Amino acid sequence: MTGLTPTLRELEEIVGAPHLLTATDARAQYALEGQTPLAVASPGSGEEAAALLRTASQAKLSVLLRGAGHHLYLGAPPGPIGLVVSVARLNQIVAYDAEDVTVTLQAGVTLEALQKIVGARRQMLPLDPPGPASATLGGIVSANLAGPMRMAYGSPRDLVLGLRVALTNGEVIKTGGRTVKNVAGYDLSKLFIGALGSVGAVVEITLRLAPLPQARAMVVTALPPAEACAGAAQLVSSRLEAATCEILNQAAAERLAPSAVSAGPDEQVLVIGLLGEQEAIRRQERDIRGLLGGNCAWLEGAEADALWRGLRSLAYPHNGAPLMRIGVPLSEIPTILAAIPARQGWQTTARAADGLVYASPSVWDDLEDTRRALTGLRSQAESVGGYAVLESGPVALKRALPVWGDIANADLMRALKQAYDPEGTLGCGRLLP
Amino acid sequence: MLTQPADLLVYSYDSSTARGTPDAVVLPASTEEVSQVVKLCHQRRIPFVARGAGTNLSGGAAPTHGGVVIGLSRMSKVLEVDAANQRAVVQPGVVNLPLQGVLARYGLQFCPDPASQKVSTIGGNVAENAGGPHCLKHGVTTNHVLGLTVVLPSGEVRRFGGKALDPPGYDLVGLFVGSEGTLGIVTEMVLRLRPLPESTQVVVAIFDTLEASGEAVSRIIAAGIVAAALEIMDRSTIQAVEASFPSGLPTDAEAFLLIELAGLREALDRQAEQCAAICRELSARQVEIGRTPEDSDRLWTARRSAFGATARWSPAMLVNDATVPRTRLPEVLRQIQQIERRHGLRIAKVFHAGDGNLHSNILFKRDDPKELERAKAASVDIFHVCAAAGGTITGEHGVGAEKPEYLRLIYSAADLAAQRKLKQLLDPFGIANPGKVLPPEEPTAMAGSAA
Repeated sequence: MTGLTPTLRELEEIVGAPHLLTATDARAQYALEGQTPLAVASPGSGEEAAALLRTASQAKLSVLLRGAGHHLYLGAPPGPIGLVVSVARLNQIVAYDAEDVTVTLQAGVTLEALQKIVGARRQMLPLDPPGPASATLGGIVSANLAGPMRMAYGSPRDLVLGLRVALTNGEVIKTGGRTVKNVAGYDLSKLFIGALGSVGAVVEITLRLAPLPQARAMVVTALPPAEACAGAAQLVSSRLEAATCEILNQAAAERLAPSAVSAGPDEQVLVIGLLGEQEAIRRQERDIRGLLGGNCAWLEGAEADALWRGLRSLAYPHNGAPLMRIGVPLSEIPTILAAIPARQGWQTTARAADGLVYASPSVWDDLEDTRRALTGLRSQAESVGGYAVLESGPVALKRALPVWGDIANADLMRALKQAYDPEGTLGCGRLLP
Repeated sequence: MLTQPADLLVYSYDSSTARGTPDAVVLPASTEEVSQVVKLCHQRRIPFVARGAGTNLSGGAAPTHGGVVIGLSRMSKVLEVDAANQRAVVQPGVVNLPLQGVLARYGLQFCPDPASQKVSTIGGNVAENAGGPHCLKHGVTTNHVLGLTVVLPSGEVRRFGGKALDPPGYDLVGLFVGSEGTLGIVTEMVLRLRPLPESTQVVVAIFDTLEASGEAVSRIIAAGIVAAALEIMDRSTIQAVEASFPSGLPTDAEAFLLIELAGLREALDRQAEQCAAICRELSARQVEIGRTPEDSDRLWTARRSAFGATARWSPAMLVNDATVPRTRLPEVLRQIQQIERRHGLRIAKVFHAGDGNLHSNILFKRDDPKELERAKAASVDIFHVCAAAGGTITGEHGVGAEKPEYLRLIYSAADLAAQRKLKQLLDPFGIANPGKVLPPEEPTAMAGSAA
C-alpha cells in the first residue's frame, strides 16, 4: 500500500477527502466477484472524473466505473480493481424543456428520479431495463439496457442523442449533441453505449423522451409452444402496434404468477403489452383475440403494471442463478426455445420482436453440467446466426464458459480501446477479457 | 474503369459546390473487386472516394483530392428480403425508393426516406446517416442498420453485426454509419425493416404568420401526439412551388404546415381532429384533412416538390441544414430573417419542424460571383446562429468537403481529437475520402463572417 500513498493523496486532492473511501470496511462494500478496490472515489463533476481517470492511468491503477451497482453482474469476472469511480454525486438534471421532448442529465441521475421529473410533464424515458429503478442512467447507457418496451421504443443506442465522456487523458469530450438529427462528425457516442465503461466514463447524457401513454393493458394467453411462437410472429409482423410481446415458459410464468393465467407444463404463456390511446388499445385487443383465439386474459391498471415489472425481472439475475442472453434472428426463437434442456427447471422468456431470449436454470449446483448445457445453447444460437452471452452466474462458471463467447472483430475492438485508453485503465477486463 | 476526360468530368462533382477531377473512375461489381482496388490504393497511397448516386449536398462524393472514384452503381442488388426476420440485405448501389417498392410487397418498409430517395442509394444513405421527413417517429438511418460488410482503407474486408440485435463488443456498425466514406467503403448492409403503418392521415394548414405555424407544432407535441412528419414551408418556398407546380396554394400566406399521422385508424381519426382544432385555434386561414391515400398524396405534393421548385425558381442555391433543439426554432428563424436582410438575399425555408431540422435554401445568381460570396457568408452566419442555440451545423446532409472547419463551432479541440483517433486508427495514411468530415488539427481561415 505504501507505493500507493502519493496516488491516493492525489486522488483525494481531486475529489476532497469526504469523497474518497479508503477504509477497509468501506471498500469492502464495493467488492465485485472477489475483487475489492483499493479506493472508491465519487467525483463532483465531469472534470473531476476525468482528472481521476488521468491520475489512475498514470499510476497504472485499473478503474471500475459504477452507477448504483445494479448491473455490475454483467461481463467477465474483473481483474484486480484499483479504483472504483462512482457517478452517484453526478445526479443533476442539466436541461429539460418538455417541448423539446429531450432531456440532458448527469450520469448519476436514477431512472426513477428521471421518470418522476418528466412524468410531471406527461412524458417518460421509454426504457424499462431489468433490475431496480434506482439504477443510474450512466449505468443503463453504458450497458445499453432496454426491456420489454423495446419493441416500441428501441434501446439506449436509439435514444441517446449525445454524451459527455471523461477520458483517461484527462479530457472531457462531447459526442453528438442535443438534437434528434445530427450528422456533424463521427457518431462517437456509439463507442461508449454498451461498452461497460471500458473506453471512457459517461458523465452526461442527452436522451430522447416520449409522451406518457394514456393507458396500458396486457393480453395474456397460454398456448402450446408452436402456437405461442406462431402467434407472436404474426403479431410482430402485423400492423398492430404492440409495445411488448414475450413468450414465457411455464416456470417463468409461475414465478410471475399472473393471477389470470395458469399454464400447463407443455404450454408457453404469450404476454402482449399495449400502450397508447384507449380506443386503439380496445381495437387491438379485439384483433389479438381474433388472432390467438378467445381464451385470452385481459389485464389493466395495477395488474398490468405488476406483470410488466415481472417481465423486467425475468431478464435480471434471480437467487444467484446463471442468466444467459441469447440473440438470434427473430424466426429462430422457436429453435432456441426447443433447445432449452428439459432438466434443471429452466425459466425462459423470449422477446419476440427483438430476437432476444433470456434463459436461466433453477438448478446449477453441478457447474460442469450447467456449463455443458449453456455451451449447447450457445452452439445452437451460433448455428442460426446468433450469439449467447452469460450475463450473470457464479464466477467459476463465468470463467469456465467464458461469458462472451468468440467476439467477432475483437482485434479491431482491442485496437479501438487502446486508442482511447492506452494504459488499459478502464473496465477491469469485463468487456474484452 | 474510366479514364477519358469526359467520363472523369461526370464523376468530378456531386450535388454540392465541391469539385475535383479524379485520376480514374472504377465501377466494381463485388466486395472482392472493391477490396482489390482499395488494396492497390493503399499500397500506392492513392486517395479513393466512394460514390453512389452523387446526390450528396455537402461534397462528400466529390473527389476534391483527386485519386480514384469507386462508383458503386453496379453493386445494386437486393440480396435478400428476409420478411420473417424483418431484415433486408442489400448492396450499396440499391436506390432507396425502388427498395421501398420491393419491401411494400411484403408489407414492410425501410424507415429512412431522404427527400432524394428517388435517386439516392442506400450506400449513400448509410454513409451520410440520412434522415428524411419521417425520421420524427422512427429515427434516422443508424437506427435501422444492423450489419455491414466493410472494405477497410487497408483493403481488408470485415463484417460487423448481422441480423441479431446487440452482438457482444463495441458497436462498430454504429461507428461506421454516417462516417461519409472516410473509414472505409460499405459493400453490403443488413437493414432493419418495420411493418408499414395501417393507415396515414395528413393535415395541412395555411397560416398568416410563421410564428403561428411554429406554435401549432408546439401544441401538437405538447398534446402528446407523435406525428410521423411535421413539415413547414415559408412564403418564399410556397411562391416557388406555385411558380413551378401550381397547386392552388395562396402565395401571400406566410406558412404551410403539413402534419402526417401514421398508425392505427382508431387513434388517427381523433388525432387528426385534434391537430386541425389546434390549427384553427391559432387562426389558420385554411385547414384540410386528407383521410384517404389519394388525398394524403395530393397534400404532400406541394411539400415534396419544394426543393425542386426552389431550385427551378432560382438559378442557383446553397442548401444549409443546420439544426436546433426545436424550442429554439422561433428565435433562430428571426435571426435568419435578419441574416437575409443583412446580406440582401432571399432564403427559402423548409423545415422538419418536429425535430428542429431547418433547411435554409439560400438563393443566388450563378453568374454573380459576389452574390455567391454573400450566400456563402449567409450560410456561415446561419451555422453560427444554430451553434449558439445549442444546435448543430448539419442535421442530415453531412459535413463533406464544405463544412469541416465549422465543426469547430460545436466541438472543442479535445472533442475533435477524440474523433480523429478513430480516423487515424482505421485510415493511418488518410486515403479514404480525404479532406472530408474532420478539419485539420490547426484551424484554417474560415470563409465568411461571424454573426
